[in-house]
Amino acid sequence: MSLFKWARTKSPWIIHFNTGGCNGCDIELVAALTPRFDLERFGILLEGSPRHSDMLAVTGPVTLQVKDRLVRIYEQMPEPKHVIAIGTCAISGAPFQECYNVHGGIDTVLLVDAYVPGCPPKPEAIIDGIAKLIQKIKEGEGHGKRK
Amino acid sequence: MSYGSTIKVPLGPQHPALKEPGNFLFEVDGETVVDVKPRIGYNHRGVEKAFELRTYIQNIYLAERICGICSDAHTTCYTQAIEELLGVEAPPRARYIRVIIAELERIQSHALWVGIAAHEIGFDTLFMYVWRDRETVLDLFEMISGNRIHYAMNTIGGVRRDIHAAMVPKIKKGLDFLEKRLKYYLDVVQTEQTILKRAAGVGVLKPKDAVDLCALGPTLRASGINNDVRADDPYAAYDEVPFNVITHDGCDVSSRMLVRCEEMLESIKAIGYALDHMPEGVIRVRVPMKVPKGEVVSRVEAPRGELIHYAKSNGTTKPERYKVRSPTLGNIPALCKMLLGGYVADIPIVLAGIDPCFSCMDRMAFVDVKKNKGWNWTMQQLRRKYAKK
Amino acid sequence: MEKENEIVKKLKNFLKENLVRTTVPKERRIFVYIKKDALKDAVKYLVKDLEFKHLSTITGVDLGGEIEVIYHMAYKGSIVLSIRLTVSEKNPSVPTITDLIPGAVLYEREVHDLFGVNFEGHPDLSPLVLPEGWPQGVYPLRKEHKLEHLREMTSKK
Repeated sequence: MSLFKWARTKSPWIIHFNTGGCNGCDIELVAALTPRFDLERFGILLEGSPRHSDMLAVTGPVTLQVKDRLVRIYEQMPEPKHVIAIGTCAISGAPFQECYNVHGGIDTVLLVDAYVPGCPPKPEAIIDGIAKLIQKIKEGEGHGKRK
Repeated sequence: MSYGSTIKVPLGPQHPALKEPGNFLFEVDGETVVDVKPRIGYNHRGVEKAFELRTYIQNIYLAERICGICSDAHTTCYTQAIEELLGVEAPPRARYIRVIIAELERIQSHALWVGIAAHEIGFDTLFMYVWRDRETVLDLFEMISGNRIHYAMNTIGGVRRDIHAAMVPKIKKGLDFLEKRLKYYLDVVQTEQTILKRAAGVGVLKPKDAVDLCALGPTLRASGINNDVRADDPYAAYDEVPFNVITHDGCDVSSRMLVRCEEMLESIKAIGYALDHMPEGVIRVRVPMKVPKGEVVSRVEAPRGELIHYAKSNGTTKPERYKVRSPTLGNIPALCKMLLGGYVADIPIVLAGIDPCFSCMDRMAFVDVKKNKGWNWTMQQLRRKYAKK
Repeated sequence: MEKENEIVKKLKNFLKENLVRTTVPKERRIFVYIKKDALKDAVKYLVKDLEFKHLSTITGVDLGGEIEVIYHMAYKGSIVLSIRLTVSEKNPSVPTITDLIPGAVLYEREVHDLFGVNFEGHPDLSPLVLPEGWPQGVYPLRKEHKLEHLREMTSKK
């Protein structure tokens, strides 16, 4: 299914949250909005409020300080909602796995629907990850729930 | 209100909104900021402890990921420290390559910042233009190192990849393009009314305060203080590559913008010189895995300011103690001073002015001392509220 | 090395027996060991008389039984003088230097968080980097705390 067809039927609004990462993934996500990659032409908007978002894009290895806020943001999102974990830290916490103030990957806290590996993943990879998640949703899978 | 004294603001039953920790606690009186208390820890991962559990080679990759925007600064500082402990010196060609990568990173970081600052002011067109042009630097990084961010160029004993002769014309072409664009942006920053109104006279930091509060980097230099680790405490090949230290006397956010824009132009010149004068030879020397006992203080000028590492070795393959002080932490006392007495509406641009790790600065807690109420805002909400001003 | 040696000489004359040892490992690097009680006088002399106006950071090191506190100060951004003292682990306490160098305020808080050193006279030693709810008295960078125990403790939260 083409991304353009999807965008015409539903435009996901994404809220982005950094759980203590190095900002590498965040910059590449923001770069995805800039003219060269232009995420917005697919109707994908980076939204500021969880109450208007369909997708939560999370980066970082979940520091203890931030875990409650992450859960709170997730709870404020209306259903159906989905989580996409961007970057290796969000997937497993590496290289901060052994740090005392770090939880681990996002899926230790929330159920994740899509993982985009990379350190950081290129904007093309992030867009691809979002596209694959949209496809998954279209096929009726991947309804994210709290663990 | 002096930065040294504190007011205990009761948090708890009276202020249910403040149960969650913010990054800054602002005490306000109407629209004026009367006190600022930093409460960071959002990004504290416990990296210094992790350093002690990994070998020196593994730690290069950890050091790199302390920050995604100045990862090369951290690895340069780290590898320099370990090289000093080992008593080796990176070969001349490697030192020149380190300068080239560090200056490319400076351009990338400052360009990123100009975009973010423009976004803070509400000037999204400029943000889009600058980030599009910044892609040129990222393309060069990808060509040289294989990655746009976290280039992993440094290793203990030198650099891992060479800048081959075939790359040089492409780098120069990219730099020529950037130079034209940056000159245009410098002009915009100096003449565009939108920017001047929001950034001039805002976030003032007098020179004496800048020194007393140990400010760093462009924040310090925009208050007229001529300090730059590349010139004062040269490392890599900075004793051979000429460049100017940029200072401005305005002491406000617009001066910080000017300093960063002009620094980018200086970086382009420095890279051009380094490419033309790069010595032949090997790019790394072999080093042993065990590092003899010793200690070292290593400093570099990261895009945000002085970055300092302290390393202590104990004769094994793992460090005894590794301390990292990032420049953003060093600028927070100065930041608090700049915010005092200013308007709440100016908080986003003043915060942005010190070029912090931008997601660290997202959450702020407010207390209105007169009205005795508290609330939380994100930067987005704060920007929205004051966007029409 | 001329300036470095000159600085060392002046410090020796000023601190006399309170200066335990100095090393100048290379240009622009000086390490000075002092007795704890001389800290404020030494810092005052460095800031006011020797123009070491910049404090880069404060490092804590667990030496086992003792905690070392190192102040990294810079002369005109150039020469880094690391002035250091040790305090006992049982009762680690050092006078604050925030009255001499206001910029030290967060560095002292950080060392307090991670090593438990008390800086007497500091305006606000509330936690800076550790998260809310971190157990009192657990100073993560002390060697006694192995990573596994810290993670066990934090995963129970």
